[in-house]
Amino acid sequence: MSLADFLQLALRSLVAHRLRSFLTLLGIGVGIAAVILLTSIGEGLHQFVLKEFTQFGTNIIQVTPGRQGARGGPPGLPSTTRELTLDDAAAIARLPLVTGMTPIVHGNSEVSAAGRVRRTSIYGVGADMDRLFSMRVGIGRFLPPDDPAGARAFVVLGAKLKRELFGNANALGERLRIGGERYRVIGVMAEKGQFLGVDLDDTAYIPTARALALYNREGLMEIDVTYAETTPAAAVAEAIRALLAARHGQDDVTLTTQEDMLARLSNILDILTAAVGALGGISLAVGGVGIVTIMTIAVSERTNEIGLLVALGARRATILGLFLGEAVALAAIGGALGLLAGAGLAQLVGLLVPALPVSTPWHFVVVAEVLAIAIGLLAGVLPARKAARLDPVEALRAE
Amino acid sequence: MTPADTLRFATRAATGYPLRTALMILAMSIGVAAVVVLTALGDGARRYVVNEFSALGSNLIIVLPGRSETGGVGLGSLFTSTPRDLTVRDAAALLRAPDVQRITPLTLGNSEIAYGGRLREVLVLGTSADYLDIRGYRMGLGHFLPREDLERASSVAVLGATLCDELFGIESAVGRMIRVGDRRLRVIGVLEKSGQGLGMNTDELVVVPVATAQAMFNTNTLFRVMVEARSRDALASAQRQVEDIMRTRRDGELDITVITQDAVLGTFDRILGALTFAVAGIAAISLAVAGILVMNVMLVAVTQRTAEIGLLKALGATGRNIRFAFLAEAALLSLAGALAGLALGHLGAWGLRLAFPVLPAWPPDWAVYAGLGTAIVTGVLFGVMPARRAARLDAVQALAKR
Repeated sequence: MSLADFLQLALRSLVAHRLRSFLTLLGIGVGIAAVILLTSIGEGLHQFVLKEFTQFGTNIIQVTPGRQGARGGPPGLPSTTRELTLDDAAAIARLPLVTGMTPIVHGNSEVSAAGRVRRTSIYGVGADMDRLFSMRVGIGRFLPPDDPAGARAFVVLGAKLKRELFGNANALGERLRIGGERYRVIGVMAEKGQFLGVDLDDTAYIPTARALALYNREGLMEIDVTYAETTPAAAVAEAIRALLAARHGQDDVTLTTQEDMLARLSNILDILTAAVGALGGISLAVGGVGIVTIMTIAVSERTNEIGLLVALGARRATILGLFLGEAVALAAIGGALGLLAGAGLAQLVGLLVPALPVSTPWHFVVVAEVLAIAIGLLAGVLPARKAARLDPVEALRAE
Repeated sequence: MTPADTLRFATRAATGYPLRTALMILAMSIGVAAVVVLTALGDGARRYVVNEFSALGSNLIIVLPGRSETGGVGLGSLFTSTPRDLTVRDAAALLRAPDVQRITPLTLGNSEIAYGGRLREVLVLGTSADYLDIRGYRMGLGHFLPREDLERASSVAVLGATLCDELFGIESAVGRMIRVGDRRLRVIGVLEKSGQGLGMNTDELVVVPVATAQAMFNTNTLFRVMVEARSRDALASAQRQVEDIMRTRRDGELDITVITQDAVLGTFDRILGALTFAVAGIAAISLAVAGILVMNVMLVAVTQRTAEIGLLKALGATGRNIRFAFLAEAALLSLAGALAGLALGHLGAWGLRLAFPVLPAWPPDWAVYAGLGTAIVTGVLFGVMPARRAARLDAVQALAKR
């Protein structure tokens, strides 16, 4: 049989039962649409989270005291291991590969100014902090690079904290009290928004040495380091590790590169997307059962047609191909319709929820379509084999 | 036609094409089974979390240092420094509140533990004698921390079961000296194995008196204070009293956060409940697909049985009778599919429970009813069009078709 005949036969049977074909398409289509919609949302979530995390820049290494391996407990727990000091931080800053560094101590204090009082997070940071985390100063300037031994009592306010304390008045040069100590406002940060539910604008930044004194601490909570974009993170991490090991006499710090963290995060989110996609896949399986049913019906309906074809000399392989082709065509068209519907719905969700950058991952689209075709093939095998095995005499007599 | 006739007509139609019927039932059952298994999973997770929290003790209030204006429990309040420490004396003062039954201060930190040349990193918990009862743990061997003044730093330690196995193996641990950080401590007890829990795993913990831990970590502040109210009803008033006492002790400034377990639990409950619901909704899409299949097959059935319908009509059956007959068939198919799916789903949930014994993966009642209901409604709904088409057939033409 020529290819044209082949196509014609398959197509004609599809067109002859328009409603039936349409419903079968719909079954597969809904399944595929579910898979595409869900993976699109999953992928959107993925990108959203990654973007949140990379807004502070990607070439950051975090140094925390204590070797990793102690189980459980939130980060920042006190430890009997040797603490990270401002001297350690200064030594790291002198490393050739390092382009910026900020020691960090954070806490929670009452801030009072102009008769208003507010409890907020206080960050003790270095002069490089704004550059390191790609944060912008709105008005004034950031903390000056003072010598830790004599850090001046300057404070830079987050945008929200400034509003809460000073309203629309000018805050620059004003004095305020943090935990009983007097500070002078030298800058206000630009709005940064929320990060994972933490309001980044409701904070005050003071020199690290001042924060250590305020909270009566010996050691830093963490040191964040940036390096040139072109340098591999591992090389920088190794240099820091070697330096601190030499200073402390043992390897007692944990280094986390942003790459590690993003990769770990990405893995988790990939699993999530796949799981959600698999959930949608259940309806695809049901759609597959639909194709099996309809093809089985088609075979029994067209028994005498098959008998005639075989009697006229059509080979079994041809019959098999004919029915398989029909099943695959149904699945493929249904899949394509589903793709359109799913992607369209995803865009609609994207319009309704602007915070979620919905994006249809194209490799998933290909996988879904291939899956649909595979389901068609699989679902077609049983009925097609049944058709091919028919005895021509019996088949012709069936009517 | 009597109802019995209608039913017979429908069942005969279904049994006449066993493969087709089986496939439709399969499709329906996949959908129902998916709903049942997934809600079992979601609800199991919810119940697991709720159980874990109730295991903490049901009338518990947690006091943590630091407070944010925005309130709630954020990343920032997990661990933070405050200018004013939350001290052991603060904790002891809370006992003066009439609705407070017991308190226990917690100091947490990382350290190294060593015995007989074996060395490992370990989480150290500094607390008091009441910790055992408040958390509802039991001792495996020996005694828990002695009941003594909170500021007394006795050199004793209680080990978690796993940690004890790792350090001592089959040797008896009680009475031995271990080194934690730079201190030598005598092991006075071993906790009974409690298995994996939320937050801290006590199996890998060293418990020491709170003053010992504070000296070890060179700190004055506490990580948490756990407060047990006299009863569940006294929870709210106990929380108020705790806040009042702390405010008085801090010159009118409330720089601590007081959370009740109910607040935390409620959040988890809502999140996991919504998750279960969403997952069930996604699974229900497959029910719609199955419904489309039912409609498709019923349409085919109408075409195939045109002559039969014509005959029935010629014999005096009304359109209504025919419609009922086909709807009954659709309903029967859906019901069979739904029941099969229910069985399949319960089997799956049972498998889940076997695979993850900690997870109480029972499908919630609402999901079972909703799954069954949706399946039957979907089946019947999608059966309406074919049934109407059958009912509308003209008797003469239908008979003539053959």
